[in-house]
Amino acid sequence: MRRIVITGMGAISACGTGAAPLWEAMREGRSAIAPLVPPDPDAVMRMKVAAQLKGFDPTAHFDGTRLGLLDRTAQMTLVAAREAVAQAGIDFTSGNLARRTATVIGTGVGGEIARDEQCRKIYRDNSPRVHPLSIVRMMPNAPASHVSIEFGTTGPAFGVVSACASSNHAIIQAAAMLRSGQADAALVGGTESCFSLAGLRAWEAMRVVADDTCRPFCKQRRGLVLGEGAGMFVLEILEHARARGAAILAELVGVGMSADAGDIVAPSADGAAAAIRNALEDAELAPERICYINAHGTATPANDPTESKAIRMVFGEHADRLAVSSTKGVHGHALGAAGALELVAAIGALREDVIPPTANFLDPDPACDLDYVPNTAREQRVDAVLSNSFAFGGLNAVLALRRPAL
Amino acid sequence: MSESVQEQVFKIIAEHGKVDVGQIKPESTLKDLNIASLEAIEIIFDIEEHFDITMPDRDPDFDTDSAQGLVHAVNEALAGKQDEAGGNA
Repeated sequence: MRRIVITGMGAISACGTGAAPLWEAMREGRSAIAPLVPPDPDAVMRMKVAAQLKGFDPTAHFDGTRLGLLDRTAQMTLVAAREAVAQAGIDFTSGNLARRTATVIGTGVGGEIARDEQCRKIYRDNSPRVHPLSIVRMMPNAPASHVSIEFGTTGPAFGVVSACASSNHAIIQAAAMLRSGQADAALVGGTESCFSLAGLRAWEAMRVVADDTCRPFCKQRRGLVLGEGAGMFVLEILEHARARGAAILAELVGVGMSADAGDIVAPSADGAAAAIRNALEDAELAPERICYINAHGTATPANDPTESKAIRMVFGEHADRLAVSSTKGVHGHALGAAGALELVAAIGALREDVIPPTANFLDPDPACDLDYVPNTAREQRVDAVLSNSFAFGGLNAVLALRRPAL
Repeated sequence: MSESVQEQVFKIIAEHGKVDVGQIKPESTLKDLNIASLEAIEIIFDIEEHFDITMPDRDPDFDTDSAQGLVHAVNEALAGKQDEAGGNA
């Protein structure tokens, strides 16, 4: 089997521009959740807090012509992709690498801000005209297209959609292509920005959003807090990375997916457990080898006990020795970008032998009975980790990673 | 013929929960009536649309609320709306 390694990562989130500020905030359990800045200053919002990317100036990254093509999701993706590619030090013009490189990027809804702007013109302003680039800004494959254009990667490229599991599904899809020999390298990740008035109203109406902050797995949790951002990674076949002397951040050793095939929103422990088991089997890792799980941990009443139960179902007694944390208290729930932002946590844990904590944790909930590493990071040897993503629609995607073999 | 707030709320619950309106007792919780959380959210939304009110955010455990609790919340929201209208007049 062709082995897959990660040689570059980039991120942009409420914690700032770069994977480093995100990882530092995760490690310190420093929450970027703040009072919501609504897209419409006069709107009376039921949603009170969010993890928004502030002070991002797209004109610092893109010229005017280019910027006109880019929804915020694509802007963030490109900024993260540039960071990942720079770290990997990979040159796509060398040999036939460009056509052997896949580009797969997940997003829950695509260009929501671009769509919303045009809806306002039509329905609020009664304008008969919308911007001629509306379609290319809105389409959920736009981030993947723009990344392939920027880096000239001409291999398979497309977007992947599975709500809050989109990033992990995108990474898994690219991994499948690397293993099968359809590609030797891949630019992968996820992106999301849903802070349009319509997007926020839809989340408010669902009544799953906390009004104080995001407190995964603890008794006082009141729901999720929306975040935004993008995370991008360079994946390569191990031989390819070795041949060019690349520094390896982590090895992607296994992937697991499943569908609950049950309720459209209520999560299923069986479904989550199946995805976790599949990832372990695919990685040929005994459950006892896993040191840390970066949980989906949304802090909704339903997710956290269900995910805890699923972990117990798979790991048995080892569940009590596992460190499990959700970093969503730090960067919020970035939906389609969630798995990509959280992969930064998984990689950070492997590289620095430290478990990022579950931030904003108050008191334990009897229904959540694992070791959630509350509030303070823990230094310990970390050899193998899982990163869970579970989506509305009952779609589950889990990654298994290991520290690179020397 | 004007229906009481309780009758209107029960009717909305009955429609969404596909239960007979006669089955709904003031102390019934949505859970008792086998109404899943997604339907509960829709019930809240229909109540808001029907009465043109905004229901307060609470701990997101609608399914443990009783039908009477919902009626009470509607009455409070309606009273709040009247106060507001009075204030504007």
